Amino acid sequence: MYVCSRYVRTTYRLLLVGLVLSWGTTARALDLLDGDFQLHGFASLTLVKTTDNNFFGQSDNQISRDFSEVGVNASWRLTPALQLSAELLSRRAGGTDDGSVRLDYGLLDWTPLSSEEGRAGIRMGRIKTAYGLYNTTRDVPFTRPSIILPQSIYFERTRNLTVSADGAEVYLERYGEGGTLSASFAYGQPQTDTEAAKVPLVGLNRPGSLDSKLAPALQIMYEGAGNRYRLAITALRLDLKYDPGFGDILHAGSFKLTPLIFSAQYNDENWSLTTEYALRRTAIDDFGPYFYNGTFNGQSYYVQGTYRLTPQWEALLRYDAYYADQNDRDGKDFAAATRLPGFTRFAKDWTVGMRFDVTPQFMLRVEAHRVDGTGFLAAQDNPNPQALRRYWDNFMLQASFRF
Amino acid sequence: MEKTPAIKYATSLLRLMLAWVLASTLLFGIAHAQSAEPAMVVIAHPATAEDSIPRASLRAILGMRLQRWPGETPVKVFVLGDEVPEHATFSKSVLQVFPHQLRMAWDRQVFSGQGQYPEAVSSPQEMLAKVASTPGAIGYVKASEVTPNVRVLKIR
Repeated sequence: MYVCSRYVRTTYRLLLVGLVLSWGTTARALDLLDGDFQLHGFASLTLVKTTDNNFFGQSDNQISRDFSEVGVNASWRLTPALQLSAELLSRRAGGTDDGSVRLDYGLLDWTPLSSEEGRAGIRMGRIKTAYGLYNTTRDVPFTRPSIILPQSIYFERTRNLTVSADGAEVYLERYGEGGTLSASFAYGQPQTDTEAAKVPLVGLNRPGSLDSKLAPALQIMYEGAGNRYRLAITALRLDLKYDPGFGDILHAGSFKLTPLIFSAQYNDENWSLTTEYALRRTAIDDFGPYFYNGTFNGQSYYVQGTYRLTPQWEALLRYDAYYADQNDRDGKDFAAATRLPGFTRFAKDWTVGMRFDVTPQFMLRVEAHRVDGTGFLAAQDNPNPQALRRYWDNFMLQASFRF
Repeated sequence: MEKTPAIKYATSLLRLMLAWVLASTLLFGIAHAQSAEPAMVVIAHPATAEDSIPRASLRAILGMRLQRWPGETPVKVFVLGDEVPEHATFSKSVLQVFPHQLRMAWDRQVFSGQGQYPEAVSSPQEMLAKVASTPGAIGYVKASEVTPNVRVLKIR
């Protein structure tokens, strides 16, 4: 059975890559029905090398090739008020993602209200969660400012909980002289049925399972002066229950996560300045004596500047900071209670990077990170917390293609 | 006593902003030496009911958000390639959006399932022909290139 599903997965991946490459040779997207049906996609491959610790596979003093992204999407505008869209995604990311093909989004977008001043509608199906400035297209290299998004807010290890939800999203947009005001409210079922969703919350090798209540997500955004200013507030609530498995040392505990994110971006012709600040309230209860229960206020922020030196070259500088608990920022209390290293409770990351758009379809990126702390590392790639090192560097090289 | 994260955040924000302002003023002089640009106008299919459009609505249409004209006719957007000088001129002087930002807005919509790309044409002649023959069409050309079979929309 396992061999069979693996075979099917490999075939799917090959088909997806084949599709991307065959369109790549013609270097253009597919438009049918006068452009009402569009097919687009992307593929990326990244090399990762770290001086200590593992990020996206076995990268400690060796080169890991275990980070790749392949996606293909189709959209069909049935009428001016109705659009059908779906994307298939295959993502490999060290021990956290195995490259199996899944539905990234699949939705029907209905816009019953539309005038010169604005529009309103509803999206139904699997919808990407509007979370900060980058989450809805977080796996598309061309839409990111860097190879990896700032980890303090866009964790790779807990991505499954916030990447999308199955449900509905109501949206409203108003086009004013000064700018566009938009609001969206989504209510849906987050994806909790994978190891990748479970491990970052309860740890490795737990026999139980994680279940989530329907989760609300609200975002309000103002884009002023032709997108020169982009300001947003995002609020999310995740209510998760753990159902212990056979012989589990953990009890039936609960997680309540309520991140609140403030985002601001200023765009000039050749440079952009972006900052996001997140307050993450986390309540962990009833897991019993073998778990770190409690209520914490986590804090994250980054400040990022990008400069377009020429239309093809763009430089990046960013400082990104993450604290799991603002009342225990150095992790001392955590270390005393758990005997795990305190530096697993924070991460401060200086990043420099360069983007080179060889053609509009083909992009190369290089990036270096100097990190103090291991707060955003995945347990799947670093199973032994005692083997972690507090100070580490991360170098990445990425090639990506789109059509 | 350690500084609180909020203060640290504010100071690093200020420092970075200062560095950026300095860098951009230094490079501004070089980037700004450009020649006179041709006047661009918005054109639409001749049967379009409107003869003027608010800039905010035009941005929403070119941003691929607004899909319908007030009379329910579907909007059909035509653009020249990102690298064509007329596209940059139209984007900056008429829409008042940097072309790079317009591209980013399209990408965000297409890759989250919320919208589609406009149709790219390869020349002003093709733009005029497509806009003249497609009901609901909107595009742009140099003011000197306008032909009688398209309607010029004024910005209000």
